[in-house]
Amino acid sequence: MPSVTYKAGGEGLERELTVEIHEQDATPWGADAVLRLVGGEHPRPDGPAKATGAARYTYDVARPRLAYAGSLLCPYAHARLKDIDEAGARAVPGVLDVRVNRGEYRHAGQAVAVVCAENEHALGDGLRALKATYEVLPAAVTVEDALKPGAAEVEPGKGNREVDARRGRQGDPGAFAKAFEASAVQVEAEFRTQIQTHSAFEPHGSLSDPGSGGEAVVFASTQATSAFQGLGRNLGLDGPARVIADHVGGGFGAKFGPMSGDQAAAEFARKLQRPVKYMCTRREEHLVGGNRPDSIQRLKLGGTKDGEITAFGGVSDGTAGNGTGGAGAANTIVYRLGAQDMEQGAVRTFTARGAAFRAPGHPQGSFALEGMLDLYAAKAGLDPLEVRRKNDRHPLRALQWQIGAEKLGWSTWRKTKPGAGKGPVKRGVGCAAARWGNPGGGKWNVEVAIARDASVTVRNAAQDIGTGTKSVLQIVVAEELGCDLARVNVTIADTRFPPGPGSGGSTTAPSLAPAAREAGLRAREQLEGLLAVEWSTEPSKVRLEKGLFRGPGGKKASFEEACGLIGEQGLSVTGQRRDNWKSADGLGETAGCQFAQVAVDVETGVVRVERVVAVHDCGRVINALSARNQVNGGVIQGISYALFEERRLDRAQGDMVNPTLDTYRITGMADCPTIDVVLTSVVSGFNNMGVMGLGEPATVPTAAAVAGAVFHATGAQVRELPMTPDRVLAALARRPS
Amino acid sequence: MKAFALLRPSTAAGAVKALAEGGAVAHAVALKANGIDLLDRMKERVDEPERVVSLTSATGLSELTARGDGSLTIGALVTLQMLADSADVQRLAPSLAKAAGLAASPQLRRRATLGGNLAQHTRCGYYRHLSFSCLKRGAEACPVRAETGVQDTAGIFGNSVCASAHPSSVAPVLGSLGAVVHVEGPGGVRVVPFPDLWAQPERGRASDLSLAAGDVITAIEIPPLPGSMGFGYEEVRVKAAFDWALVSAAVRIHGGAGKVSGGSIWLGSVAPTPLRAVAAEALLSGSVTEALAEKVGAAAAEGATPLAGTTYKVQLVKVAVKRALLEAAGRPA
Repeated sequence: MPSVTYKAGGEGLERELTVEIHEQDATPWGADAVLRLVGGEHPRPDGPAKATGAARYTYDVARPRLAYAGSLLCPYAHARLKDIDEAGARAVPGVLDVRVNRGEYRHAGQAVAVVCAENEHALGDGLRALKATYEVLPAAVTVEDALKPGAAEVEPGKGNREVDARRGRQGDPGAFAKAFEASAVQVEAEFRTQIQTHSAFEPHGSLSDPGSGGEAVVFASTQATSAFQGLGRNLGLDGPARVIADHVGGGFGAKFGPMSGDQAAAEFARKLQRPVKYMCTRREEHLVGGNRPDSIQRLKLGGTKDGEITAFGGVSDGTAGNGTGGAGAANTIVYRLGAQDMEQGAVRTFTARGAAFRAPGHPQGSFALEGMLDLYAAKAGLDPLEVRRKNDRHPLRALQWQIGAEKLGWSTWRKTKPGAGKGPVKRGVGCAAARWGNPGGGKWNVEVAIARDASVTVRNAAQDIGTGTKSVLQIVVAEELGCDLARVNVTIADTRFPPGPGSGGSTTAPSLAPAAREAGLRAREQLEGLLAVEWSTEPSKVRLEKGLFRGPGGKKASFEEACGLIGEQGLSVTGQRRDNWKSADGLGETAGCQFAQVAVDVETGVVRVERVVAVHDCGRVINALSARNQVNGGVIQGISYALFEERRLDRAQGDMVNPTLDTYRITGMADCPTIDVVLTSVVSGFNNMGVMGLGEPATVPTAAAVAGAVFHATGAQVRELPMTPDRVLAALARRPS
Repeated sequence: MKAFALLRPSTAAGAVKALAEGGAVAHAVALKANGIDLLDRMKERVDEPERVVSLTSATGLSELTARGDGSLTIGALVTLQMLADSADVQRLAPSLAKAAGLAASPQLRRRATLGGNLAQHTRCGYYRHLSFSCLKRGAEACPVRAETGVQDTAGIFGNSVCASAHPSSVAPVLGSLGAVVHVEGPGGVRVVPFPDLWAQPERGRASDLSLAAGDVITAIEIPPLPGSMGFGYEEVRVKAAFDWALVSAAVRIHGGAGKVSGGSIWLGSVAPTPLRAVAAEALLSGSVTEALAEKVGAAAAEGATPLAGTTYKVQLVKVAVKRALLEAAGRPA
């Protein structure tokens, strides 16, 4: 294996790094690499199609003889079917098939029956004709109700609470108790976060087409085309199905494998030998499309008078629905917290399963952890930013705090006393931190094909869920080939192409970009080889410089001229995602921080976010435009979490009262603040690109920063999300006068 | 949605006739303006009419006329955006222009009509989804009122039977302006004073209007409002973009900040129908100071019967009325 020494890092944290790389791999670009396209601002190639409506999402796919499937959803948290008029539904004109799922239903939204029909109206008529009646059983749909003595048990005999499997109990209870007792400053508080539903523009769904003699194909709105290949079994195929996801209308962690509706549709398709589409209704999407578990975090923090945290502990309880996975709150990360004792409880309720949601566990943990730091700072009479800096342990974040504080004017703002100024609108600022870190991986292949007409095609099975994956591949390949961006067509999201990763954990760019780079390099070498023959020289004597291939004796050729030498059959090469370098010292943890400025109307409790400064690290930036877009999106979704989004269930029935996009409030344009995005570029030492993911960390600290700003503006800390007028007014009323 | 026959009469009289065919049974026939609310309900199958009578082809319903005497006649199909943009409305009834311009989203304002806005049904989630029971849809009790109900947007007045809140934010403004409603029905044309337009909730009654199923609102008329008037409108909502008001308040006063001699105060989103704040109106006299505005706001909130989840809305009523009054007096808070 060749050994390479290069300059990793960035932003003043550069260092020489020697790594062993695969002999086929491209030499890593260091922090000092001069690149033509990578790192610039480039509109994404699918932008015009998306903006004009030409982009075809799964929801839009039409096929000859297409049939539609949908579910009757159980309206109760816990029930058994009493009666259902299956025959009545079958008799509805246009209804093709009906499947009843008998048994016990353990959450509202569970599919009681699935109907397949000629069109959406007949589908609705068929579902309506089922006239199901239920025997309603005891249930508990909130953490508090599920923990009451005598509460109905989701899994009888097991109790409703478990210590969360993943985060569990950490720390040393004895050491924590001692350190907390001994600390000069002690704070205790309870923080609550809500259930946030996945509300992507495009709901979950798919279209299964058995092909009727031709090739079977599945179109899916998914974060992993590969995960839908298993529908081949439901479709009656011998092997995996071909899956296409040309455009995906968003995915935040809940769109991986098929849901029961997708499976039912594939089975109807097989039986009827015609294509069947199943798209969740908006209500269904809210109910069963996945959600971020809630939390009740009862915390204690001890520290010194000058801002050093010496003890941190407590208990968090949250519900991930009728399962327990993912209910913990990531409330012990980012800072040095001294002696710790933290228990993460997972509470089963009669509600639909939670799902991974953009930085699972982090926003809820961040809200409580940063809230504790704000309380501590207030009690100790310290600047909240200084408390953070003092206990931070990431070298890059020290710089980020400084950048953000200067951009926002933190020190000037903090001179304002809570509640100061005339009129009912009070302003303040807050800040919070994020960490992430996943260099990606997997042995993925990216194919690059070039035709004689100089058109370049990049192929991989991975999907672009809106994050800009197509743009990333286009830029990296064009950079290596020395050609215009417009020459490179990215055709991905089809499992006929080389396998690609699922898009989760902010890993798509770091998993695919290094393979794309290697493929681009391989293709360029082929062009150099053709030119070497043409120029009767050695391939090593042909070099790409400033957009032109140059050879001995002043010979030169443009990319287009070089492509003219390609044979009729074209040229096709593959690049592989090599393993992350073991020899890397690795800045494996990315850093970020955000500052928020808010205006709080203390008479109405209405909060408006006026400005957010978001400073984030994602290793090497590939497309500054789409990277900023990711951060903007993270901040906007974070504001939504801070102020608006909340699943509201009727506590008796367990069904959702606000399952529409006008009553389940989500940040709109008029609610978006000025967002300043600063990307600190620190080349990670893991792969030939030095790229890291960005999708998740950008949404982690927003709610906490907004809450800190509300605290500063009013002197009242709102400890429950979302910070709606009722909660803000209640916090103001509790404020000591 | 369920299949239906679409009827498109060319006049309001034709619409009245079309509604009457088949006996104008409340649930079998529906009157549609631009369909913003009705189509939502039909998609949820809360409404499953066999016949839909659309007013969109009827002539003469989209006109906005300002007369020399200062009166305004607003056709039932005039959109909220037309109201917001109209120089006449901005001059003669600025509170109406303001409320219309804040409603819903830019797209919806360009489709939503004034008649449709008055006829819209409550946004209560229990009413809007068949999975819940609802008094308005025939259930014996209102589940919002139960201790386990979701109450944050519920009504705080007149909520003993049904805790719904009327969602229109322009309706309280029309109330404050003393509007009258032109209605065409099987018995001919009539004029309904604004307070008489509304019906209190009762079991099985979905509409909040007192009108019969065969009636068509053709226009809303705002009478001449003599000089020396002040207008105010204030709403509190969670989001700045596309959201429903938690509370809205419309105020019209005689005289200016220095000397007020009476006026009108109406509230929105606090009761099953738009609500006149009579006790608060009685205090509208003298100089409009911050102190008077506080007092008037407090009076508007008197008699509220909030549920556990809506106590905060009492405070919002006080603030919204105070601010609307200060705006009407030309001294916004």
